[in-house]
Order: sequence, then structure tokens, then C-alpha cells
Amino acid sequence: MLRFLVRRVLLVLPVLFGLLVLTFVLVRVVPNDPSASLAGQNATPQQIAEIRAKYGFDRPLIVQFGVYLKQVVQGDFGTSIQSGRPVARDIRQRLPATLELTFAALGLGIGLGVPLGVLAAVRHNRMLDHVLRFFTVGGIAIASFWFAIMLQLLFAMQLDLLPLRGRLSAIMDAPKHLTGLYLVDSLLTLRFDIFWDSLRHLILPAVTLSFGSLATITRFTRSGVLDTLQKEYVLYETAVGYPRWLMLWVYVLRNSVVATVTQVGLLFGALLAGAVVVEAVYDWPGIGSYAVFAIFTSDYKAILAVTLFVGVVYAIVNILVDVLHGVIDPRVAEQM
Amino acid sequence: MRRRALTYLGLALLVVATAVTPASTQQSIMVWGDNLPSNLDPHALYDVPSSFVQLNVYDNLYRYEGNPPQLKPWLAESYTASKDGKTWEFKLRKGVTFANGDPLVAEDVVYSFKRVMGMNKAAAGPFKAAKVASITAPDAQTVKFALEVPYAPFMSIIPVLTVVNKKQIDPQVKGDDFGFGWLSSNSAGSGAYVVDPSTYIPQKQLDLKRNAKHFAGWSHNTKPIETVKAREIAETATRVNALIKGEVDIGDSYLPTDQVERLQKEKGVVVQRNESMRIFVIRMNNSKPPFDNVNFRRCMSHAFNYEGFIDVILKKFAERNPAPIPKNLWGYPQGVKGYDFDLKKAQAECDKAKAAGAPVGREIKLHFQAQLDQTKQAGQLFQSDLKKLGLNVALITDTWPNMTTATAKPETSPDMWIHWVSAYFIDPENWIGTMYDSQFHGTWKASAYYKNAKVDELLRAARAVPDQKERARMYADAAKQVVEDAADIWVYNTVELRGVRSRVKGFKFSPVGSGNELRWMSLE
Repeated sequence: MLRFLVRRVLLVLPVLFGLLVLTFVLVRVVPNDPSASLAGQNATPQQIAEIRAKYGFDRPLIVQFGVYLKQVVQGDFGTSIQSGRPVARDIRQRLPATLELTFAALGLGIGLGVPLGVLAAVRHNRMLDHVLRFFTVGGIAIASFWFAIMLQLLFAMQLDLLPLRGRLSAIMDAPKHLTGLYLVDSLLTLRFDIFWDSLRHLILPAVTLSFGSLATITRFTRSGVLDTLQKEYVLYETAVGYPRWLMLWVYVLRNSVVATVTQVGLLFGALLAGAVVVEAVYDWPGIGSYAVFAIFTSDYKAILAVTLFVGVVYAIVNILVDVLHGVIDPRVAEQM
Repeated sequence: MRRRALTYLGLALLVVATAVTPASTQQSIMVWGDNLPSNLDPHALYDVPSSFVQLNVYDNLYRYEGNPPQLKPWLAESYTASKDGKTWEFKLRKGVTFANGDPLVAEDVVYSFKRVMGMNKAAAGPFKAAKVASITAPDAQTVKFALEVPYAPFMSIIPVLTVVNKKQIDPQVKGDDFGFGWLSSNSAGSGAYVVDPSTYIPQKQLDLKRNAKHFAGWSHNTKPIETVKAREIAETATRVNALIKGEVDIGDSYLPTDQVERLQKEKGVVVQRNESMRIFVIRMNNSKPPFDNVNFRRCMSHAFNYEGFIDVILKKFAERNPAPIPKNLWGYPQGVKGYDFDLKKAQAECDKAKAAGAPVGREIKLHFQAQLDQTKQAGQLFQSDLKKLGLNVALITDTWPNMTTATAKPETSPDMWIHWVSAYFIDPENWIGTMYDSQFHGTWKASAYYKNAKVDELLRAARAVPDQKERARMYADAAKQVVEDAADIWVYNTVELRGVRSRVKGFKFSPVGSGNELRWMSLE
């Protein structure tokens, strides 16, 4: 297992290097000039030229990349040209918001998707299966920004049940910083008013973000369970009178979710990427909205750091998924 | 037992939940739902969102107030200018302190000016144009500027200089950063409000607390707002919905007209409507064929449906402004009619351009700003009318940083692009002066790359003449010539529209800062 982990981590390094090269080139070949952004509105061409020279933007791209790479290896992601603060500090401040949203969405996706998938398999080609198919295909097809706006209009504007935007009501102070996750921090500090307020703010963004993954998890679980139900040992267990719930939710499900778990790993990356859109619509103060602002203002060090960060998280989650495969299926563990 | 405990916990949560008070009932907290500046350093930025910090957290020697904007003594009690217009001396008020209690003295003003010029960001631009040779503090209450040459608009650019606390910033300076790394998320001002750095999230949330010891006092406002919580709302529709729902108390000043109609139907919201000094302009790159042909530019000027755009799309929430100076500012060329929408005249001008060999048939690229719907609407309207003339226009979605980068060179500057020129300081110099004097080529404001020796001469002379009447005549003459040459397409002067919850009282508009000054406001 340890050898497997070391091998996977070593394999991730060239992937991250490639990601950094690709992003650096993409960010710098578009005609946006970071020195113009840095100079701000109403700057003269002379001011822009001076800033270009000062920050080394006039040097060859490969030299600029070399300088940047050296900084990154030393743990320095540079300073945001917009916020004026170290990019790492900006990301650290916004990361808990994105994690809270992503985990909530993932929790919803798994918590609802797996049971719905099992039910759809058990009742395959019957009404429930057809209804679920309609929603799951819709869930994959619907654009998240459109879905977000529809949810806002219905639940925040028409029914007035939930807040429209943000992570917390503006009049409320954030809970004392322990983990940065408002739900957790408010519970740990016994601030139930903040807990309730942040929970209400989390519902719509989490539902929006989870909708696509919920559909995928449901479909994969349905397919896996259907496949397993055809196996002979299921027939045997049924014949000897195993309780149906035990057989279905323990033995069948465990043997059906390998593909689903792989999908969850992939979905985690998709959720982080999807957070860019969802955070923009709901004004969620996470790294997604930070990335959008960075792109609009050519804040290239912020763009690079966010991309690298998402890449690292994605890689870690996928390694964890591989390990989880081993836990679910001992045959896989033997090959590790 | 466990079930009972859960029931109690549920009831407790329910009680707490109902106790959460909506923003609209809080008496001392106002929620501000406009765009936030990229950072909090008043010398790093010089755009409309940054005025929120500059006007509320910092003070300046003189300040614009009201509409039409008047220059009012602020940190300075008075000023004197030498007869040759090259020396300007300001006398500071005594007893003014920064929010942290440090005294504000002339040395802080000198430091602030040197910081602006040293950082060399956008705010340095107007002072570079003024060619300031030196700044000194002969005593604690006196600041003296010496200019290389007389610069008539000097007083009008003075409010651009916000005063920071030297003593507070000095220990935070790292290398050559002028303390930017620290001041970008803290405050060191003497203004009516102070930044709470503990809750600040760049471009997302900014909390301000009232400075009870502000030098101007609070006698003008018996119920000032104690805490202002500014929250960035990216989407216009969300901003409007948040206003209707009462999640925010005040929106932005770029409210589209379709949203105005929505807000006007709401009982709890008032739409503040104020004539501003923000010109909407469709730029033409005069250096690129066929735009280097004056007849082609006139053809384009006759092909834009001004009335249709202002009356139908903007629902008359704007006023036609056919010249490069706002209609409500001195120097505006009275009697200039500009161009009307007439496709026959446009065709005739295009035919003349074609006869002179201009490549009239080539595809024209018109760039609009992705986040500002109105620029797209204008582009689409223009595209459809130009099609009737057989002109092929491609609409390009673009961003502000990208466009301002492109306009740095005539060869990369777009054929056409759409933007506003806001009131950064109140003088024709802010509009026609920096838009059409060829010495500013390479800046986004001068992106038409227009060059006319007569106009250059008039604009440069106007900067050196102290008499405003004489300057007004010169700017008017220059404007007539620029209109004659159809350098750009000037569409309208903005009526700024801003949604405000009716519990907010005392909103005071000025074209500089768009009514962002909080010290007048109170909550009912």
C-alpha cells in the first residue's frame, strides 16, 4: 500500500508541472497585459511601460516562467496585483467557503444519489425509474447558472423561504474562526443563530452545485446495482431467505459502488470547477468567485495559484479514491 | 429520552431562527450592495468603485459636493495661487486628527503626494499632466505646490489626492512597495468611517465603522449610520432582487432601465435619479482605414439611432449629448447639434468615402463590455442599422482590462469600442482635454487616435489660461472642431439611477463619487 501511495504521489508531480506550464502559457498568450491592470484606469502608456519593466513582464516568457516556478517551489505564489496581498493568503481566506459548499454538495449528491440509484435499480423500467431517469438526464443537461437563477427566483423571491445570496446575512458577524467552516464553527461555539443562518444560505448553492453530481451518482449506482442483482450469489442469498434489506443495502450495494466511487473522485473535480459558476451567481466568497475576478482583471498569479490548487486537491482526492477501492474490494488491495 | 432532547434542540433552533432579524429592520447597520474596489489603498486605484473608500475613509484638501459639483474647502481652509499660476499654497485646518488619533499635518500631505507619484499608479496620471515640480511643507499647516508650467485645471484635480497617515504607514513599508501590501487591506485615514480589517475579504466584503471624531463633526446628521457592511454583488439582477427582498439597502449607480421599472413598482424602494457627468461614447480608431476618412466617420455618426436608443431602449433615462463635454458643464459648445440618425445622409457620406478609396466594405469589429449590458444593446442596434447600409459589423465580447491594453497602440486598438467617460474631476480637461489632445495617445481615454493641430493648440492653450471664460471659449471651439471631424460618436450624458431602500435617508448625489458619501445618510 505504501509503495502504491508513493508511486501515485510521484506520478502526480509531472501532472502538476504540466498543468502549471499549460496555465502559464494560456494566461500569458492572451492579449491581456497584466501591467495595464496593475497600472489601473487612467494610467498613461509611460506608467504602464514603467510597471512592465519593474515587474519583469517585458522579459521572455520562459524566463518569467522560470522565476515563477522557483517562487512556487519555495512556497511563494506571489502577490495578487488586484488585492495587493499574497495570493496564498487570499486563497487561505476563501478556501473554507468553497470546501463547505463543495462538501455540502457532495454530501447531497451521495446522500440522495445512492439510495435513489438503488431504488431505480430495484424498480427498473417502472414508473419510479422513468421519473428518476427524467430528472437525472435533466440534471446532467441543465446549465447550472440557469438552474441557480430559477432556484433564486422561486425560493428566495417568490416563496421568500431562503436568502438570495451570500454565505451569511450581512448584519450577522461570522462565527469565531476555528475551521473556517461556518456550520462547524457556529456549532462548536454554540452560536445556533449563526448555524441556522449559514445553513439557510448554504441550501440553494449546495442544491445547485449538487444537481449534476446527484444525477451522475444515481445513474452509476442504478447501473451497478442492476448488474449485481443478476449475479448468482444474489439468487442464492434470496433462496436461503436473507432479509431483503440486508441483502440489498449491504451485500449488493457494496459490490455495486466501485464505479460510483470512481465517479465521486472525478465529480469532486467537477464540483470544484462548477463552484466557479455557482459562487458567481450566489456571491459565495470562495475561490471560485476569486478565480472569476482574477480572470476578468488579468490577475495572472491568482489564476495560476487557483488552477494549481484545484489540481492538487483533485489529485489528492483521486488518490484517496484509489485507496477506497482497496477498502471496498480486497482483490484491488492485493494488487496495490 | 433521546427523542425528547432532539425535540428541545429543534425547538431551540426554531426560536433562534425566527430571531434572525432581516437587514431592513436594523437601525444602525446599513448594507451596501455595490461593486467593491479591488483593494483598499486609495493611491493604487482611481476608478468609480474606489471612490467609496476614498470619500469615506480618507479626506482631501478640497472636496466636490453637490450637483453641479462645487469645490469645498475640506482639510484645507483656503488656498492662494501665484499670479503666474505656477505656485499653489494651501492652509490646513488646525486640530485635525487621523482616525487613530495621530495629528494630521502638512508633512502627511507631502508624503501622500510623493506616495501617489512614487507608486505611479493611475491616480498619478492627472498630477503628471500638471507637471508638479515640487511639493513642500513650510510649516505644519502649509502645503506648497510648485508647477513647471501654469496649469489652469490644477484646483479641479486636487480632490484626487487623498491624505494618508505617514506615521502609520512608514513601519509597514516593505522594500519599494510604499506600504501597499499593508494598506491594500487596512486603512490609515482621517475620514468619516474606518475600515474593520478583521472582516475584510478583498472584492467581496468590507465593513466600515463610524469615526465619531471626524473633523467635520456630525452636527449635520443627528442619526448617522454606525456600521456599513458593503457586500459585492456581481450580477445586476441579483443586486436588484436583493434590494427588493431587503437584503441590501442600496445598489449601484449603473442600474439598467428594465430594472428601474421593476424597482419603481416596489413600495420599499426609491429610485434615485440624478443627472450626472458620464458620457456614453462609441469610439472609432481614427488611425485605421476606413476610419481615417472623415466622410466614413460621418457616415457612421449618422447611422446610429440616437433617439431609438435613448427613448426606446433607455426609456428616456438619459439625455442626448452630441459633443465630448457634458452638456451640464461649462465649456460645452452651445448650439452644436451634432449628428442625427439619417441613413440617407449616412449613405451619401459612405459613398464619398468609397469614392476617395476608403475600404468601406471590410468587416468592422465593434467591441463591447461583457459585464455591461447597455454596451451590448448599443452594439446590436448599431449593427442592425449598419447592415442596411451594406456594412458588415462583427460584435466582439470583451473585458475592460483587455480593451484598455489593446488601446495602448493604434495598430492593436479596436476599430470601435463602447464605454463611458465618468467624472473623475470636474473640468473639460477630464473629457475633451484628455480624449482629443494627441499627447495622450496610448491612454484608453485618447483611444480614437484623433489628431488635429488646431485642436491640440486650443486644448494646450486652455490649460495655461487662468480665466475660466476664456478657457470655456477655447474648449467650445475645440469641441466644435472635434464634432466637425466626427472623431467619435457621442451618444448621451448619463442620468445615474440607483435603487435605495426607503428607510435610507439623506442620500446626496454628486457626479464625482456617484453619491457614495456615507456621512450624510441615516436609517429610519
